[in-house]
Amino acid sequence: MNPNSFISIQNLSKKYPNADVFALKELNLKIPEGQIFGFLGPNGAGKTTFFSLLSGLFKPSSGTISIFGLTLNENREQIKKIMGVVPQDIALYPTLSGKQNLMYIGRMYGLQGDTLNKRVNELLSFFDFQQNMDKKVINYSGGMKRKINLIAGLLHQPKVLLLDEPTAGMDVQSRIKMMQHLTNLSNKEKMTILYTSHYMEQAQIFCQRVAIIDQGRLLKSGPPDDLIKQENAKSLEDILLSLTLQNVNG
Amino acid sequence: MFERLHASIIKEFQLLIKDKTGLTILFIMPVVLIFIMTMIQHEAYKSINETGIPVLLINDDQERLGNAVKSSFEQTPIIQVVEKTSADFSDKDQIRQSVLDGNYMVAVIVPKDATKILKHDIENIMGQFFDETELKPGDLKEIKVDLIVDPIARESFVMAISSGLKEAIANIKTQVMFQLMAENMKEALGTEQDMKIPEKDFFQFNEEYAISEGKGLVPNAVQHNVPAWAIFSIFFIVVPLAASIINERSEGLFIRLNTLPGSYLSILSGKLLIYIIMALIQFAIVIFIGKYLLPLLGLPILNLGPHKLPLVILCIAVSMTAIGYGLLLGTFFDTPAQSSIFGGISILILSALGGIWVPVSVMPPIMQSIAEFSPLNWALNGFYELFIKGGSWVNIQNNVLKLSLFFVVSLFGSFFIYKTKINFS
Repeated sequence: MNPNSFISIQNLSKKYPNADVFALKELNLKIPEGQIFGFLGPNGAGKTTFFSLLSGLFKPSSGTISIFGLTLNENREQIKKIMGVVPQDIALYPTLSGKQNLMYIGRMYGLQGDTLNKRVNELLSFFDFQQNMDKKVINYSGGMKRKINLIAGLLHQPKVLLLDEPTAGMDVQSRIKMMQHLTNLSNKEKMTILYTSHYMEQAQIFCQRVAIIDQGRLLKSGPPDDLIKQENAKSLEDILLSLTLQNVNG
Repeated sequence: MFERLHASIIKEFQLLIKDKTGLTILFIMPVVLIFIMTMIQHEAYKSINETGIPVLLINDDQERLGNAVKSSFEQTPIIQVVEKTSADFSDKDQIRQSVLDGNYMVAVIVPKDATKILKHDIENIMGQFFDETELKPGDLKEIKVDLIVDPIARESFVMAISSGLKEAIANIKTQVMFQLMAENMKEALGTEQDMKIPEKDFFQFNEEYAISEGKGLVPNAVQHNVPAWAIFSIFFIVVPLAASIINERSEGLFIRLNTLPGSYLSILSGKLLIYIIMALIQFAIVIFIGKYLLPLLGLPILNLGPHKLPLVILCIAVSMTAIGYGLLLGTFFDTPAQSSIFGGISILILSALGGIWVPVSVMPPIMQSIAEFSPLNWALNGFYELFIKGGSWVNIQNNVLKLSLFFVVSLFGSFFIYKTKINFS
């Protein structure tokens, strides 16, 4: 397998200062390019820590992350340019309009003039957001905020998109619509999408591969259908429940 | 780097113009403060100068001593003397009540026969000298001059009245002494020649302000208040600045900003730069008000002194100091509410210590020593050097150095706090 065609995580561990236990312990994963990869687990499983380590926000206690052949520790600036990050909280200036936020973030990625305008308009149109682009973010509905938060992470056409609970708090229809958008984008722009979620059915439908973690440890990983067959379960949710309950009991 | 800085400046500008509270603090507060404080002080001085402070003189003496006191008050421009006698009041309580009612700030009672008693006492003193005798108990009588003071009168004013009174009495005492001595000597020498004692004092007092350069500089309410309240208001820039820094540390934005290409420093630099520009615009507005708007209200024109470049450097140094302090608060505190409360109160304390409210020179020695550590004091002293004393770069360089050092220390302090917080998160 060509190392430039996948994201590799080797023996990744993170222990926060003054914490007694590891938030993430000896995680090993390989994520092929162009796939939608779901990182699943209950609250407190270590999903957001994984997201923070992958985005370079925190340094791991041990282990390495390599993204298409570039190790994160040595190539952070280069990786920042090919990575789009969509945090769980709305990462926008609430008193600026959606478009002003996008223009600022685009400029910070080095986009200028016509290129920037074209890209912003393209994405606003793709997400059917043009009518609301001049309203202040603070006045958007929850779903609109999630959409514009996502668009901000896509402006520079990243090769890798990290999404932390991108559909949290959204109704079922909006969740499905958002995931369809992401699938289309992944196909259109050949983007590798890593997202954390606790919505199992959603992951089962949209992800080519998933990893299930609990208490900082990787419990299972693979294509959702394969996992369901292996575990002789009805759904990913059943697998998650049986694995995490084993964890609690064991 | 430049593109990112440019992007951050545009974003900060957009954020600022939408922040109505921040804009009010940045631009309306200094304007309102300067207008109100300057007019209040100017009007207070003007009304004192124009109508005078009402002083009641109960002149029961109606002779030389009483008339000298009256004349002394009449020669003092800020005093409006009203002469009456005890016969105009039923008793001393009525005089006291009149002062309490606010009709007079002070009542001075020169008793009946004060001049006669004074002459009598001096004659006895002279007599014991010429007759080579001893003074016996009862040879000297006391003259009791009463001062009834309005409780709200400032101590400094009461002291001024009382020392004026003592000076007038001392003058009369000297004159009477000379006169009696002259009469005694005339008798002893058997001459017909009278000794003429001049009424005019031998001493003349010439008052002038110790100004280095710039002859047009006159200390007045505008020269004092405009820089003082400008500094006070400009330091309040720490409130919106700290809140803006804290808001950017909120969960989502912190992740977004830290995962953008380049360091957070370029984002922060854009923020600091725009706030420094805002502070300089505040100074420009304040100077415009002092030069062009206050005179329309009958106030003196703000004189910037003869040295303009040092003034620009001082304004930049003060702005940077305020921004540095805002950065420190924004990094240290976790919520805008914490930083606003602490920021506002700390500026009030630093301004009080710095001499914005009360001149440092009238503070107790311990407070004067503490004042030397207030950045607002360094700033104010710098402006006073330029606006009031006609000083140049040489006179403000120490203040500029201290302000700049404060900015540098704030930057390093903020970096240290930021790193500590990141490492422990």
